[in-house]
Amino acid sequence: MTNRVNVTIDGRQVQVEAGSTILQAAREAGIRIPTLCYHPDLAVRAVCRICTVEVKGARTLQTACSFPVTEGLEVRTNTPRIREARRVNLELLLSNHPFECPTCARNQDCELRSLADEYNVRRVRFEGERKQYTIDDSSPSIVRDPNKCILCRRCVDVCSSLQAVGAIGPINRGFDTVIGPAYDEKLAEIACAMCGQCINRCPVGALYEKDSISEVWAALADPKKHVVVQTAPAVRVALGEEFDMPAGSIVTGKMAAALRRLGFDAVFDTNFSADLTIMEEGYELIERINKGGVLPQLTSCSPGWIKFIEHFYPDLLPNLSTCKSPQQMLGAVAKTYYAEQSGIDPASIVSVSIMPCTAKKFEAKRPEMNSSGFQDVDYVLTTREFARMIREAGIDFASLPEEPFDSPLGAGTGAAVIFGATGGVMEAALRTAYEVLTNRELKNVEFEAVRGMEGIREATVDVDGLPVKVAVAHGLANAQALMDKVRARQVDYHFIEIMACPGGCLGGGGQPIPTSPEIRQKRAMAIYREDRNLPWRKSHENPDVQRLYKEFLGHPLSERSHHLLHTHYTPRGR
Amino acid sequence: MAQPYYRAHVLTCAGSGCTASGSTSVMLSLETEIRRRGLHEEVKLVQTGCRGFCAMGPVMMIYPEGIFYCLVQPEDVPAIVEETLLKGRPVQKLLYREPDSAKRLPFYKDIPFYGRQMRIALRNCGFINPEDIDEYIARGGYEALAKALFEMSPDQIIDTVKKSGLRGRGGAGFPTGLKWELCRKAPGDIKYIICNADEGDPGAFMDRSILEGDPHTVVEGMTIAARAIGAQEGYIYCRAEYPLAIERLKKAIAQARDYGLLGDRILGSDFSFDLRIKEGAGAFVCGEETALIASIEGRRGEPRPRPPFPAASGLWGKPTNINNVETWANVPPIILHGADWFASIGTEKSKGTKVFALTGKVNNTGLVEVPMGITLGDIIFDIGGGIPDGKKFKAVQTGGPLGGCLPVDMLNTPVDYDSLTSAGATMGSGGMIVVDEDTCMVEFAKFFLTFAHAESCGQCTPCRIGGKRMLEVLTRITEGKGTMDDLEKIDVLARTMADSSLCALGQLTPSPTMSSLRYFRDEFIAHIVDKKCPAGSCRELVHSRCSNACPAGQDVPRYVGLIAEGKFEDAYRVITEVNPLPAVCGRVCDHPCERKCRRGQIDDPVSIRALKRFAADQMRGLKPEPPARRMDKKVAVIGSGPAGLAAARSLAQEGYQVTIFEALPVLGGMLAVGIPEYRLPKSILHEEIENNILSLGVEVRTGMALGRDFELADLKAEGFEAVFVAVGAHDTAKLGVPGESASGVLPGVQFLRDVNLGRAPDIAGKRVGIIGGGNVAMDAARVSMRLGASEVHVIYRRTREDMPAEDEEIHDAQEEGVQFHLLQAPKEILVSDGRVWGIRCVRMVLSEFDHTGRRRPVEIKDSDFVVDVDVVIPAVGQASDVKALRLDGLAVSRRGTIEVDPRSMATSIPGVFAGGDAVSGPATVIEAIAAGNRAAKAIDRYLQGLQPLWVPPAGPTWTRPDAPIKPPYEIVEGEMRRPVMPELALEERMNGFPEVVLGYTPEMAMAEARRCLRCDLEAK
Repeated sequence: MTNRVNVTIDGRQVQVEAGSTILQAAREAGIRIPTLCYHPDLAVRAVCRICTVEVKGARTLQTACSFPVTEGLEVRTNTPRIREARRVNLELLLSNHPFECPTCARNQDCELRSLADEYNVRRVRFEGERKQYTIDDSSPSIVRDPNKCILCRRCVDVCSSLQAVGAIGPINRGFDTVIGPAYDEKLAEIACAMCGQCINRCPVGALYEKDSISEVWAALADPKKHVVVQTAPAVRVALGEEFDMPAGSIVTGKMAAALRRLGFDAVFDTNFSADLTIMEEGYELIERINKGGVLPQLTSCSPGWIKFIEHFYPDLLPNLSTCKSPQQMLGAVAKTYYAEQSGIDPASIVSVSIMPCTAKKFEAKRPEMNSSGFQDVDYVLTTREFARMIREAGIDFASLPEEPFDSPLGAGTGAAVIFGATGGVMEAALRTAYEVLTNRELKNVEFEAVRGMEGIREATVDVDGLPVKVAVAHGLANAQALMDKVRARQVDYHFIEIMACPGGCLGGGGQPIPTSPEIRQKRAMAIYREDRNLPWRKSHENPDVQRLYKEFLGHPLSERSHHLLHTHYTPRGR
Repeated sequence: MAQPYYRAHVLTCAGSGCTASGSTSVMLSLETEIRRRGLHEEVKLVQTGCRGFCAMGPVMMIYPEGIFYCLVQPEDVPAIVEETLLKGRPVQKLLYREPDSAKRLPFYKDIPFYGRQMRIALRNCGFINPEDIDEYIARGGYEALAKALFEMSPDQIIDTVKKSGLRGRGGAGFPTGLKWELCRKAPGDIKYIICNADEGDPGAFMDRSILEGDPHTVVEGMTIAARAIGAQEGYIYCRAEYPLAIERLKKAIAQARDYGLLGDRILGSDFSFDLRIKEGAGAFVCGEETALIASIEGRRGEPRPRPPFPAASGLWGKPTNINNVETWANVPPIILHGADWFASIGTEKSKGTKVFALTGKVNNTGLVEVPMGITLGDIIFDIGGGIPDGKKFKAVQTGGPLGGCLPVDMLNTPVDYDSLTSAGATMGSGGMIVVDEDTCMVEFAKFFLTFAHAESCGQCTPCRIGGKRMLEVLTRITEGKGTMDDLEKIDVLARTMADSSLCALGQLTPSPTMSSLRYFRDEFIAHIVDKKCPAGSCRELVHSRCSNACPAGQDVPRYVGLIAEGKFEDAYRVITEVNPLPAVCGRVCDHPCERKCRRGQIDDPVSIRALKRFAADQMRGLKPEPPARRMDKKVAVIGSGPAGLAAARSLAQEGYQVTIFEALPVLGGMLAVGIPEYRLPKSILHEEIENNILSLGVEVRTGMALGRDFELADLKAEGFEAVFVAVGAHDTAKLGVPGESASGVLPGVQFLRDVNLGRAPDIAGKRVGIIGGGNVAMDAARVSMRLGASEVHVIYRRTREDMPAEDEEIHDAQEEGVQFHLLQAPKEILVSDGRVWGIRCVRMVLSEFDHTGRRRPVEIKDSDFVVDVDVVIPAVGQASDVKALRLDGLAVSRRGTIEVDPRSMATSIPGVFAGGDAVSGPATVIEAIAAGNRAAKAIDRYLQGLQPLWVPPAGPTWTRPDAPIKPPYEIVEGEMRRPVMPELALEERMNGFPEVVLGYTPEMAMAEARRCLRCDLEAK
């Protein structure tokens, strides 16, 4: 039984768990306290000073996000004193913020902008010097505009705590404080995973993805180009949020319809190549186990994770599966198999992907990703960019019909769609590995042990007498914890799935903003719902994949597979 | 090993201050000299920590005599050895010289700087060699630790500290014992003790001095606390800028470990504790305990929100107790001597002593430790020796950059946590910066804000941006670009910062600004509305300090420069642009300009008044241009003193028809009837009135008093459309003692008037008693001497320094034989048979400070005595009889003066303006002229039908040149005193009333003018 205490908030008696904050207590009581630097994913910083409240007995205002409640605490959340402090602090932030709202990437969902409205700030009384920094657009994934930064530190915390990367931090002090890489280095030059989690947490437009919309519009407008597109599993359960649908809405059919209306020549599904990945990666694992290869095998579909391991655990690169990610596999197949099948000159194919991810932009640009003779993927759009294109095209998303994907790279199984959630790749691999190794039908395809939002999960699956030990981690801090154990040989897993982002791809850095554990949970539930709705739930059952092997690749780990679908990695310094 | 016996000990200060003044080389030459003389087995040389009297460093003490030497240089060493160590005689020139009496004080104990101090935290500083643990032990060191280990339980230790009333000396003043108790009771096996040695207040150096002078007291204090709290490990977080402190701490820790006073099983007990030093990078915010902890942990030094407090979750998340150096230094004496002893010192809520770093415009700068409850004034004036160069005390900033500035009327504030806080300042870590009249309070506030804002960690919004915006507002104000709206903005920003910043740095950043605004609001308004910096310090607003100080705004450097060039007529014309009475002002102006002259910081201020007189005397007879236009409108000026004359001239120059109405038979007001002939010859005055005012067509009607001979209605009937009332203050304030109405009592103003009008009373051979210390008193005294009085006694209730009369006047009076009776006040004028025969006086003693910054004299009981006199001249102030003017609806102040708008001089009656002494109370000639000029401008606007009558300047009326300008002559840059003014020989003076001061020759004047540094030509 938990220890509960009585507190009074705005005259209302509330009973809450001891040790919870005033903010939590107020939310339980249905009282809204505005916040800015607070984020449910992150430790409390209490630096913006927007959530200040009056605590009886305290000399100064206290921050609701940090103040722990105790028995008998009396709090007021809405007094002239509080409103003045909040308004003045908002004015101060605005006095050092560029008024570029109409052209800002966060035009519609800027937290500072909505708070200014909420607190009726119609004028900024305090004028003065504004900071002037150059925008860092060196990274292929993330753009930093320190001029818009309000120093809430969310990005710093997400980068160092959730992601264990620590790419950015506060430099200088006082008014000259700026968030950025140490020694003013460029984002492209440092150990940044490009996961984009910072973007998802940024309350304003100080961090946003490197935009590829205009290039894609240009390709679509070019009659000489054949533009193919693929959509990652996690996009279909999040895109709806961009169009005011509740989190967890599944919009697969509308998404395909929208892509066609935007003018894409072929609408493919990354689910197809996710199934293909399982085939290749599964056989790779079986080979490693059978032939005494390097174990544990580590998944390689998350490009943020790849960048991370290249920087921080280069000694573990032999453990990484050599499989390209589903995005790259589809790109490679599109410019070879598909081109061949449909008689299109691969040079005229433009390969676009819709991804929940900013690191995918970096991955697509990796120089080794061109074994077909062409870059596997030409342009990567995040879920957010995709939504912007839909809006720009004047498409009424909600009223679109449900349409299917195109053949031959459009079919996907339930095993593929769960790639979008943490644990999904592992579960998909187990579904296939079990049947391939045992030649018996798997009755219960749902491996609950690898599902959920626990940071690190592990399971042992009996495959025909062989206890296969697996582990799953999401978020790079969890990956770090796990890799430290692997490096120290404290664990003897066969297979480990790592996703760079909390929750897996559904929580990716290219997904709709905001994000929270609650939102991610709803997206995950949608993913598993989609899995259940699909006719095939195991990758090896995918008829298009089977046809691909029959007509083009031969068998998993064939020479052609190796050439087109596998890759190598680059150790990078810190 | 037996210690050799020494017959003398020479203690030389090796604190940072004295080291900077050269004490190392003093010690080296002393050592050489002692060896050369073969005295090294008789005389022991000791390097000590700081003795506090840094202004006088290097300082040295010689025991057993207790001789105190200051400003010792290596070349003084042979004399010290020869005279003091061999012959036992003090070296006179190294002894401390009392500024007032110029007396040399040989002994440490007699020096006022030390006299009122009480040293607990600094008890060993300056007495022991800080690098020798034995010396610490010899003075009772580590006895408290032994007592705490073997005679007291942890609870008893905490109880003792609680009962002692010790509060944190770092600034917040949290009760130390309670803090320890919270940490002791916090659950957890591992606990930490931290010493905050991140002393960051600019100017504060008490912690450094303790660490440098007595490091073991910190080690001992921390170890005692560790025992009480249950900590095993301690950190001393010391800024890396204190290398000497760190070195001495390291030695102290090593020695303590050697002696079994630190480490495992201390002194054989079951208690183990050890200390580490952590060097900090000197960020001010790391004084905040959570930021300090972050820094020790290797993180960026930023505070975090509290709760949880460090007592519950501190270093590495463990319960942690932090106190600062000075707090730790108080712990061993408290344990050793008991809680009652400590609690007997100080005030009810602030026990013990506090160390202050006394700096700024005060004679004795340095480190002082005083019992709590002593007043600010006692520290500044008794220990600090008052303000240098005869300047006026303006404010004292306590608590460092997060403290506040307190004005003169707070000098009686007792120095304790709560009194200072309620006054709007703080105790802080003990910074105490004194500023004088030359400091601009806006700039002073800006200085602290600049510091605090630069030290903001940058985490929280109000501190990071609010501090910046506030600084921008203050900067605007100092540049003359502020608006009244800006004061409102400061208020709002300050409230938000204080109320919503994350840590004390942000919360207190506005404090200096807010206290300045609270106590010196007028000064802010002067910058904003008048575009003027009254202190003469804001460069964008002050074209030169002298002209800034002049009420009439005379362009001093310009006319001084013209004199240097030999262009006397041009100089004269510059003067008369604003001043109708240069020959008068050249003689009797109180020259506030000279007090501010920058040349005075090198040798002597430029003799601005004498140069003005020179120009005027050269140009005698020169008349102004007649007015360019002639207007019908008539203006009446009531009173022909300097205010009336100035207004009359300005209005006549504008073309108005001006008539002066004067009650007396002569023109000039107080200039004619208040100032004696020997200071201002009548001929000069009348010539100047004739030439500079009447020649412009101004009419005069003498013997006409408003209210007696005519009324406002008569003026209206005669067609006067505006009236300027400048009737002066010709009545003498009452003494309020019995016998005042007797026939031998002659009020000072009346006495001088009678003499000036040729109706001098016969006081030849009589004994005259003059009561008061102002210029009227001096004039009356010197006039009495000239009228043949046998004795003249000036009786004044305060000291000579407090006399309002000009220094030169006092000096001349003394020279002429006037006798002064200071700190005495009349109780009764003794009269028998209607004749005065004496004054019964009482002796006075100075007590607390009054609103003027002078100590208030109070009677010493039963100290009455009688001064035998035949005539009594009270001269304790002047008054004007405003009621007699019979002006209906005239607003009058409580002091009995006419109330006006200070910028337009408009009274409550439309069309009626007023200025001069009748408005300001007794003031100076130049203030009266300034008032007349201001009134003339407003009257002009009034008669043109313009509103408002005064228009604020849009910005600074003048811009400083971008590049320095060279004058067409050579400025004298090397040291050169001002020339001695030729004066009439003493024996020639007393015979009648010939002018005493004779004036410069052209050669003298030109040479003197070249001493002007031409601040006006300096670049931005």
